[in-house]
Amino acid sequence: MSEPDLRNELGHAPTEPLLPIEKKLIGWSLGIGLVLLVILLLINQLFPVAS
Amino acid sequence: MSSTTDTTPLVVTRAPSSPWINDDWLAVWIGLLIFLASLAWLYGYDVLGWVVTTSVWIDPNAALGTVSKAYADLGGPGALVATYLALVGVLTIGVAALRANILRFVAAFTVVFVIAYASWIVGSYAQVAAVTPADLQKFGIPWSLRLTNEGGYIVALIAGLIIANVFPRFAEWLKEATRPELYIKIAIVILGAFVAVTAAGRLNLATTLIVRGVAAIIEAYLIYWSVVYFVARKWFGFTREWAAPLASGISICGVSAAIATGGAIRARPIVPVLVSSLVVVFAVVEVLILPFLAQSFLWQQPLVAGAWIGLAVKTDGAAVAGGGITESLILARSASEGIHYQPGWILGTTTTIKVFIDIFIGVWAFILGTIWTSYINPTIAGDKTKIIEIWERFPKFVLGFILTFAVGLYLALGAPQFASKLPLAVAEANTFRVIFFILTFFSIGVLSNFRKLWQEGIGKLAAVYLVSLFGFVIWVGLLISWLFFHGIKPPVVS
Repeated sequence: MSEPDLRNELGHAPTEPLLPIEKKLIGWSLGIGLVLLVILLLINQLFPVAS
Repeated sequence: MSSTTDTTPLVVTRAPSSPWINDDWLAVWIGLLIFLASLAWLYGYDVLGWVVTTSVWIDPNAALGTVSKAYADLGGPGALVATYLALVGVLTIGVAALRANILRFVAAFTVVFVIAYASWIVGSYAQVAAVTPADLQKFGIPWSLRLTNEGGYIVALIAGLIIANVFPRFAEWLKEATRPELYIKIAIVILGAFVAVTAAGRLNLATTLIVRGVAAIIEAYLIYWSVVYFVARKWFGFTREWAAPLASGISICGVSAAIATGGAIRARPIVPVLVSSLVVVFAVVEVLILPFLAQSFLWQQPLVAGAWIGLAVKTDGAAVAGGGITESLILARSASEGIHYQPGWILGTTTTIKVFIDIFIGVWAFILGTIWTSYINPTIAGDKTKIIEIWERFPKFVLGFILTFAVGLYLALGAPQFASKLPLAVAEANTFRVIFFILTFFSIGVLSNFRKLWQEGIGKLAAVYLVSLFGFVIWVGLLISWLFFHGIKPPVVS
């Protein structure tokens, strides 16, 4: 792809609406990530740094 | 940053025949070769003692020396030449296996080595590197930039940036030897043994740090990725083909994650290549800023700083080497306050975080590939993502890191007859690790042609990167590093 084409593509690409599967991917990733982080934090509280 | 593919951005010159080895495996073999050679010391053979090392200097004649006194007769310049010859020999064999142009590599590597190591020597000049008042007194100087001798990494990076942006034709000529991916992967394989020896002294603390490293995986893959993908798609209107590699590049591990994702969702090759170029440029900006911020604001929380660099800087080369700079700066600041932390823990934390994130690139690419080929773009018959792709995209150099770590840990804890000699043996290998860090920094600089990126019209991509990195990734990384690592201090040197 030539540079003018690329510039044109990036500047004027037609909008692709978010599909339901994309919304699911974003939602589930974020949700699972936050839940796992909270669980890890709790584990860290239960098992403090070994010295 | 790893991949089974050639991930060096902006590099287009390659021999037409396909190589029988890739960067990852080559790094494993070269790293293991250096590690095994260093282990000969355990049996009384000082095989690597001739390697050049640089001290903080005011008298140029005292700058260079051999890492082992057994080879002191070689002298500093002799050690430098010997190190160059060894590196050019081993690397030439390696890049020949990669089907690169050997003559061009040797010529370019010679120049790369000279400029990179000269930068390191400049960075070790006392008025740049001296840290403590005792050092200033020793060298008879009233002030210093206090960058430690690892400020030489910054000098090498700046030298590379000047070449890339002021002398682009010269940068083009050096291209065959500007291989930051290869250099940093070799360094990481060697680093495994160094981290093991450091960890063996405080195994409980090391285990705790590794467990906390799991948080980094969750953050990078599940939180960063989804937010950046949403920002790219919803706020900036990028298509899926651009948004997915961009999200992986910004969130996970830069170049290799962008390329792995691009391959998994069947994007055109130009997409991950351009994203990769962007990743390298932003990594340079981060390395020039974040270690100094860490020194100013996180010096009392050294491991938070180490984890933060690992989470915020998005290429292995810049992140791990940035961890090295951060460690030097924080150790220097702590030393000026009378606290002498044991070296290796901050860098070890950065490396652990980065390696943990790397390991799952293949799994994440498989998940995205499955979603794309099954739900988003299911039109290509027979082009479903296959589970073997997880292994194909697995960063093989991580195996080298794990191996040197495991062997180092075994020798430190399970072989008492070697325990006293092991730190010296690993220190010799570690000297090579430092040299590969220097080559990485210089190479990253040479590949960072800011003007070329702008000419390619990727300002909009850069805007997503800017918003995501400085508006979200850095600060969430800092928060999570703080939550999981605050209050944990490296051991103090007794």
